[in-house]
Amino acid sequence: MILLTFRDLVYRKVRFVVVTLLGAVVFALLFVMTGLVNQFNLEPFDTVGVIGADAWVVPEGISGPFTAMSAGPIEAVDLVAAETKAPAVASRSSLVVDDKADEVILIGHEVGGLGSPDTVEGRAAETSGELVADRSADLEIGEEVTLGGTPFTVVGETENTTLLAGIPVVFVTLPDAQELVFRTDQVISAVLVDGEVDSIPPGAKVMTADEVAEDVLEPLDGAIASIDLVRVLLWIVAGIIIGAVVYLSALDRQRDFAVLKAVGASNSSLLGSLAIQAVLVAFFAVALAAVLQIFLASMFPLEVRVPPRAFWQLPTLAVVVALAAGVAGMRKVLRSDPSEAFSGAGA
Amino acid sequence: MTVGPLTVTDLVVEFVHDGYAIRPLDGLSFQARAGELVVLLGPSGCGKTTLLSCLGGILTPTSGTIRLGDLDVTAMKGGKLDEYRREEIGFVFQAFNLIPSLNARENIAVPLILTGRDRKESFARADALLEQVGLSERGHHRPSKLSGGQQQRVAVARGLGHDPPLLLADEPTANLDHIQAEAIIRLLQGLRDDGRMIVVSTHDARLVPIADRIVHMVPPDQHEERPTRDVTFAAGESIFEQGEPADLIYVVKSGEVDVIRILADGGEEQLNRLGPDQYFGELGPFLGFPRSASVRAHTDVVLTAYSPRVFREKVLHKH
Repeated sequence: MILLTFRDLVYRKVRFVVVTLLGAVVFALLFVMTGLVNQFNLEPFDTVGVIGADAWVVPEGISGPFTAMSAGPIEAVDLVAAETKAPAVASRSSLVVDDKADEVILIGHEVGGLGSPDTVEGRAAETSGELVADRSADLEIGEEVTLGGTPFTVVGETENTTLLAGIPVVFVTLPDAQELVFRTDQVISAVLVDGEVDSIPPGAKVMTADEVAEDVLEPLDGAIASIDLVRVLLWIVAGIIIGAVVYLSALDRQRDFAVLKAVGASNSSLLGSLAIQAVLVAFFAVALAAVLQIFLASMFPLEVRVPPRAFWQLPTLAVVVALAAGVAGMRKVLRSDPSEAFSGAGA
Repeated sequence: MTVGPLTVTDLVVEFVHDGYAIRPLDGLSFQARAGELVVLLGPSGCGKTTLLSCLGGILTPTSGTIRLGDLDVTAMKGGKLDEYRREEIGFVFQAFNLIPSLNARENIAVPLILTGRDRKESFARADALLEQVGLSERGHHRPSKLSGGQQQRVAVARGLGHDPPLLLADEPTANLDHIQAEAIIRLLQGLRDDGRMIVVSTHDARLVPIADRIVHMVPPDQHEERPTRDVTFAAGESIFEQGEPADLIYVVKSGEVDVIRILADGGEEQLNRLGPDQYFGELGPFLGFPRSASVRAHTDVVLTAYSPRVFREKVLHKH
């Protein structure tokens, strides 16, 4: 059965190479779409994790510190009962580099305190006019930039600190952030807490780090649902491609199957040959796609983080889809009549 | 490899096509023994391949019996028929039907592997058979690289893969020139001499001299010359019936006849009504086909009945 399958693949190699390439492109897009959705889902948790607080105390009535204007008095810090706490500012802002403005998420933190990021290069902001940015902002340490109309110098870089589908987060000292956002040092966005929160001031609420992250995901619901729909469509396309080639193969080999049935071969052995073909096409296409997705992902403006589980889930699903798509071809085999072996003239 | 006698008794195969029934086999009977080469002789469309399909357990006849030794082939179903084909029957098809993606050696071995035989043994058997048919050197060539005769020899070798006692060959020389055909005929002779029963369907007269038994699929006397004569039929009387062997051609002298197609459900469909100087029933005798319709006298009729040769000379050429 394996020999029959392998020889047929070699005999019709051009068709199978073309189909495998087509399938690989579709599967590579599926990898990329999966990676995008995964990135959207992980991004807020990573960023909130870098900020480091277990909980955020914010004014009641807002959805979250990154999705609504959050503002409260600096005195709120004293009214929050917790072992480790720190004021913070969170807001959107505009970063201008070489006259080109890009949207960023601004975080203001106490120097060396909660909210101060771990950098992968350089150091955290320690004095006024210093800024740390996510790598995706593509800034060099020492580079002069303008944030909200104020000049800053880049002193460090973080990674995996983006929000809302790839908007880079920049970190500055709390006073700089207060000045940029509120024009006063008496207002903050939230109180960051590490550990348990024992009490909070009236008119405030506690959001866990996960709740903050989930809140950031909500604006992306529509985008994620759209990508999921594209994924479903891509699976259908993959199924059609594999199903078509299996069906064509069954049509081409109808006489062969009739002959083999006539000499006593069972349906199951012939079905197996066709099923293996479908599985092999799917397998090779996915293997090629696993490489191709690296090149495709590099072309995307957003980070594409393909989850490791996708590298076994996608091939498994591809095999299932291939077998399902091959049903029409397999029915052709089941229905092939051994008496067809007698029909037709020879070469 | 021994086999009991092959006994075919009153075999009928009826198909329904476009609403009417056709009987490629109608009450066929014959016997054959091991070591015999049986030639099924007849023109295209006379039911040779249908008979081979029945003998090979591929087609279930409408009625009648086929026995091979102790086996009642016509009583077998499903898995039993698969087993019968695997164990007792070797097929050689007119169209060679080698699998194009496999080389000659694999074409012989793969059917054996697919029917559960050991892979190594299957290839050893393929090598032995290729040597037997004189193609040892061509084992690694695909069918497209083999001549028609070589392909047919590979097909014969494939048919012999599991050493079947009965080999069924459908027009094995039909697509071959005389040199290639001779090689196949010699091969079949050799296989017959080994004690195998071989049933060959053909319209190739070259096979007749080596046959131990000839089964005429069309009665051999049907084209015998008969004197031209006038015949009369009363209104409603049958002149001939659909499915009967065709021998004579009729010209209406007086009266009218109805040409009727008998449908599969027993109903009738009138195709034509013919009167004086019109003729009918010419295609069957010319082509060797059975009657494709029934003809009945609509009124009292007088017909002139011709043999095909006389009809061609005296009636067709005159027109």
